[in-house]
Amino acid sequence: MSAATPFPKPLPPGSRRPAHRPAVDSVTTINTDGSRYFLYPADVRGVFTHWRQISAALLIAIYLLLPWIPVSGHPAVFLDIAERRFHFVGYTLAAQDVWLLFFGVSGLGFALFFLTALFGRLWCGWACPQTVFLEHVYRRIERWLEGDASARRALKLAPMTASKFFRRAAKHTLYLVASLVITHLFLAYFVSLPEVWRMMHDEPGEHWAAFLFVFVAAAGLYFNFAWFREQLCIVICPYGRLQSTLTDDHTLSIGYDAKRGEPRGKLHRDQATCNLIGYKAPEVKLGDCVDCNRCVQVCPTGIDIRHGLQMECIGCAACIDACDEVMAKVHRPAGLIRYDSFAGLSGDVTRWLRPRTILYGVLLVVGATVAALAFSSVKPANFLVYRAGGAAYFVGADEVRDQFMVRLVNKRTAPATFIVSTEGLPAGLRQSGFESPVTLAPMAESVSPLVLQIDRKVYTGPFKFTVRVRDAARTFTLTREVEFMGPDARLLEEEDHDKGIKR
Amino acid sequence: MNPPSSPPPPEDPGIKLREHSYDGIQEYDQRLPNWWLYTLYGAIVFWIVYWFAHMIAGLATTDGAKVDAAMTRLAATKMASSIDVTNDKLFWEMSRNPVFTDAGKQTFVSLCVPCHLPSLRGKSENPVAVGPDLTDTAWIHGGTPKEIYVTVAKGVIAKGMLAWEPVLGQKKTAEVVAYLLSHHQPGETITAEVSK
Repeated sequence: MSAATPFPKPLPPGSRRPAHRPAVDSVTTINTDGSRYFLYPADVRGVFTHWRQISAALLIAIYLLLPWIPVSGHPAVFLDIAERRFHFVGYTLAAQDVWLLFFGVSGLGFALFFLTALFGRLWCGWACPQTVFLEHVYRRIERWLEGDASARRALKLAPMTASKFFRRAAKHTLYLVASLVITHLFLAYFVSLPEVWRMMHDEPGEHWAAFLFVFVAAAGLYFNFAWFREQLCIVICPYGRLQSTLTDDHTLSIGYDAKRGEPRGKLHRDQATCNLIGYKAPEVKLGDCVDCNRCVQVCPTGIDIRHGLQMECIGCAACIDACDEVMAKVHRPAGLIRYDSFAGLSGDVTRWLRPRTILYGVLLVVGATVAALAFSSVKPANFLVYRAGGAAYFVGADEVRDQFMVRLVNKRTAPATFIVSTEGLPAGLRQSGFESPVTLAPMAESVSPLVLQIDRKVYTGPFKFTVRVRDAARTFTLTREVEFMGPDARLLEEEDHDKGIKR
Repeated sequence: MNPPSSPPPPEDPGIKLREHSYDGIQEYDQRLPNWWLYTLYGAIVFWIVYWFAHMIAGLATTDGAKVDAAMTRLAATKMASSIDVTNDKLFWEMSRNPVFTDAGKQTFVSLCVPCHLPSLRGKSENPVAVGPDLTDTAWIHGGTPKEIYVTVAKGVIAKGMLAWEPVLGQKKTAEVVAYLLSHHQPGETITAEVSK
């Protein structure tokens, strides 16, 4: 471990700032002249860091492996744009089911509201791809090639030598490789891995859209993870800004126990080695914070958590681990910085059940229930009945006729046979079309006419009826209510009467 | 609640306060991040270049010209694969070629049988069928191949016969006509039929 580097940190050239110290009235990573203050977060060890590494490894593994795992003939998650079929672990949706996206997006929103009200920015520190890739891929590469925080800072200030050049070149090459791996696998989610592999062996010009996407996205990721980093969380991401509307005094966040810690002060050797050698207590009884600045040095967004919860905090818990390690060394209880609510930090009890969490919870449950119903209503086929072109109805010498078109879509990856039937039709009505079952190839669709005629002497006016589609294996039924349109029956009666036709 | 008062001076003397005061609240006047400003300046430069190229110099192809070019290409492709649908002789030739008649039969079976029946005999086979007989020599809307093509392609809206060319395209529509003609002989006597 490098020794704690005392403030002020070495300033980048051109900075007008006298001492670069985190403050609540400015963003640490932006100098007064608008230039960037690049951070060198120190290494940290501890319980939360350990579990964050495990969860990040798991999340990265899921991201990288999903396109490789076949489930019923397709990758586990395969958003097949070309065929407009979306496969989720054996569950297939078609373009016609896109309305379910509403429940997917709003469900994510409600879940995020609920979790944020309870646990603050758990997402940012533990699961957001920005944090996961930055902390556990790119910063690892940097740490491996350039050493710890002080070594990295020294390297930055050092003149360019062959050693520095090669280290930097190796780092940026690995950054680019990592970015390209991420974007190629991202593409695989939409076109499948074999297809990505095939495209990679063709000329770029043959798949210029995919080629452009992969390389432009990789360049974006490289820029983001090599240089932009925490600026995305601080300036661009809207979630951090929303935070203040979603949280309250009882929301769990990472906080500093000022009651216990203040007044902070440097630890004096005689204080640690006890009163045996005639230790005289200082006039002011000092708090537990020894003002070692470790919490500031490990912070990936460059804030001082002792100023309280700030917009920049991504809830990564690095300062908790850093402080706990120091507290153990000075034989004081851990948890001077901890996951706690404002209420908890000021000595009150955190209330988990409160109007906000109840409201968000109810919204989440309602949303999840409706979403479950919506998803369970999705059948392996779609069908639509619409009126064929031309007039809405036709009145002939003997009959009133309606013409419909029935569109059937087989969403399955196997051939399927459908039986189309009508229900609720009055007696004396003749149906033509769909006398026999329709067999559709995998993922095929068909449009066929359905013609209904009713004897004009029997006709009593427009009515509603039901069109039903069953699959031959009787696993599901789809129905649609359709209106048989026609003139007022009295008009036909009059016309027949005028023509002298007996009814 | 604290009474409204002037905000505490910022810790950093480099930060200025804005003069405006709203209900006792004042804002810091901080400089924007340079990367943000450069993005903005870049966008402005891009806008000027874009505007100059599109509106002044005409360097870039306009969207209208792109659409026209695409439509011309489309029309060229269509014309290259289109046939002369007024050529009776061509239809008769197609009607003797199983490649066309088989394809036409497939379309006919999936779309035309509800009205004209699989036998093509319509009302002659079953008086309550919707469509007229297509195998006899009496035609309501004209019996020459080019007239039959027009009937299938444009439909007979008043009777409920749909316009199929917009749905099927010229090729498939012509195939259906070829399939119908395969039930007829060139040169047979055509009579006019009055619709019931």
